[in-house]
Amino acid sequence: MSTTTLTHVQSRAALPAGLTVAATEIGGAALLGAFLLAEATPMVLALLALMGGLFAALQLRPLIEEEILRAFHEARGLATVLAVTIVLIYPFFLGGNTYALHLLIVSLLYSVLALALNFQLGSANIPNFATGATYGIGAYTSALLAIHLGWSFWATLPAAAIVATVFGFLLGIPSMRTRDSYLALVTIAFGIVIHQMLNNLSWTGGPNGLVGIPAPSLLGHSFMQPIELFGFRLPSQANFYYLSAALLGLAILSAKRLHESRVGLAWNAIRADELAAKCQGINVVWYKILAFGVDAFLAAFAGTIYAFYISYISPDNFTFLVSVTIMTMVIVGGMDNTLGVILGAFLLTMLPEKLRVFSDYRLLFVSVVVILFLILRPKGLFPQRQRHYGGQ
Amino acid sequence: MESLILQHLLNWLVLGSIYTLVAIGFSLLFGLLNVIHFSHGDVSMIAPFAALGSLQVLFGLAGSSVGILPILAALAIAVLVTGLVGIGADRLVISRFRNSPAMMALVATVALGTVVRELIRGFYPQGSNPKSFPAIVQGFAEFGGLRLPALPVLIVVSTVAIVVLMYLLMQKSPIGMRIRAVAEDGATARLMGITPARIFAFTFFLASAVGALGALFFASYAGVVRFDFGVQLGLIGFSAAVIGGLGSMGGAILGALAIAGIETIVQANMADGASYRLVFAFALVILMLCIRPSGLLGKPVFEKV
Repeated sequence: MSTTTLTHVQSRAALPAGLTVAATEIGGAALLGAFLLAEATPMVLALLALMGGLFAALQLRPLIEEEILRAFHEARGLATVLAVTIVLIYPFFLGGNTYALHLLIVSLLYSVLALALNFQLGSANIPNFATGATYGIGAYTSALLAIHLGWSFWATLPAAAIVATVFGFLLGIPSMRTRDSYLALVTIAFGIVIHQMLNNLSWTGGPNGLVGIPAPSLLGHSFMQPIELFGFRLPSQANFYYLSAALLGLAILSAKRLHESRVGLAWNAIRADELAAKCQGINVVWYKILAFGVDAFLAAFAGTIYAFYISYISPDNFTFLVSVTIMTMVIVGGMDNTLGVILGAFLLTMLPEKLRVFSDYRLLFVSVVVILFLILRPKGLFPQRQRHYGGQ
Repeated sequence: MESLILQHLLNWLVLGSIYTLVAIGFSLLFGLLNVIHFSHGDVSMIAPFAALGSLQVLFGLAGSSVGILPILAALAIAVLVTGLVGIGADRLVISRFRNSPAMMALVATVALGTVVRELIRGFYPQGSNPKSFPAIVQGFAEFGGLRLPALPVLIVVSTVAIVVLMYLLMQKSPIGMRIRAVAEDGATARLMGITPARIFAFTFFLASAVGALGALFFASYAGVVRFDFGVQLGLIGFSAAVIGGLGSMGGAILGALAIAGIETIVQANMADGASYRLVFAFALVILMLCIRPSGLLGKPVFEKV
């Protein structure tokens, strides 16, 4: 973007940055809340139409997006504090609606998974259809450790991540030689092998899965207990809500740090042109394998929280179609754009749930929406942004 | 003992034939468009349902005089319908991703596969239940003292015939030459007076119709069909095409025979082989791709600067 247009935008800026930030964040949270609590079909459809309208506005008037981004850049401190506050007080506004909280938790976990995949698909353009499998490895590792060895949740968390990362590195090894469709098939095959093993081995419980994963506890507070605070009472799901929100925060932070680091730059270089990246002295093989490892690491965290939250896991939670769903979230949201990916995960998690009226046809409906989306807005809700180099 | 080996051998050839028919479609389309038509398995699985539906209508019309004619007619209708659905899938969805990154087309066709499955489940009468599918032929065939069940023999023989026909069509006929020309260089083919759109439509019809035969044989051999059988069949067909080398018909056949072979061996030699056959089949896929990254007969791609 040239400097003339930048100054043009700045001169047009009518609202102070702080106000824009506050309006965007509170507006977004309110919209999400309305969508979570909406039960009548007309209401759901009206909210979807409103979101569609907002995106149409962004599509037609790109300056609005620039303006909002600039405001967030200017008032970074305020934006972070406000966002954290909103996340912290959010459950209080849901009025003890456990279903809404459940949806929120699942959306948060899928956001983490989508961000994990984004390191490969978005940053480095490596196809990976096995995120569901590494998610499953994480979930099964922690569940087995907790059930058979009595490990606490907090101890299984790093253990699951390490096991899954080892698998991630193993999966990354074929990527040294194969690429594109061939690599895609390697990851698909890996996902199916893992799913079939979980389904057939006796010590993973076979198709029945693992039951009775004990609830975690923190400082004597069991996560089965409701939270009581200042006379308010939050349902027990709120525990897991805060846990998954913290994990998503961690994922966002690592995504940002990695993007700004040499690693992120190397991934982007591989995406742009693998051969050129190699010529620049980037160790392509290592960075590709690293992308698999990072993906598995984060996915295992999400898997562990999921296992302890639902307290029951079975192979069907980690099929090939789960991996495809995660991939769709990244593409619909916008590759290599953290906000877009999270939005994609939220939309694709909540849409099928909110369309229960169409009961039998909702999967059909969602698939049609995905296809239309890929045709009409191929770069995703929020396309990847130009990299900023150096200071401003 | 001998009959057991014979049985396994026959089973291997039948599975190999079915996978070949599905894999050829993947290979054909990839060779032409460089696109992976991931819904190919699901589109092919339309055929058994179309056959069942038209069989019911035909029996309704002709009374229940069970002859070979209504069965053949139903099979022909099924193959035709599936071929047309293939063209429709291209027109409606896949053609819009000609110039997009490969991953977009892949995800779009995965979603398209779900659409096809869900349409069968939701709109075919009692579509979510498994349906029993009749054997196309019954009884036994005699070959110089060797008594073999007729259906497997029919499947293997017709697959060989189809493969030979496909080879002749691709290598010796004018339309095959046009397909190869478009695959080689679309722009130049255009200059030579070839309409790529028509070639694409024909190729999609061909791939889907051959896949349809594979799905019909699969349903007939298994004796049952369900709306989601296409996922696994598609995955295996795709794997066969890839380990053989995408774009190569001979490779697709080799890949199909390799996967069918490992499945048969595992099933025959392991106590609970039936449940582990997919593990071994896909482990083989990973291993093959590690050893030969562009498939058995695929040409290795060298990048030029």
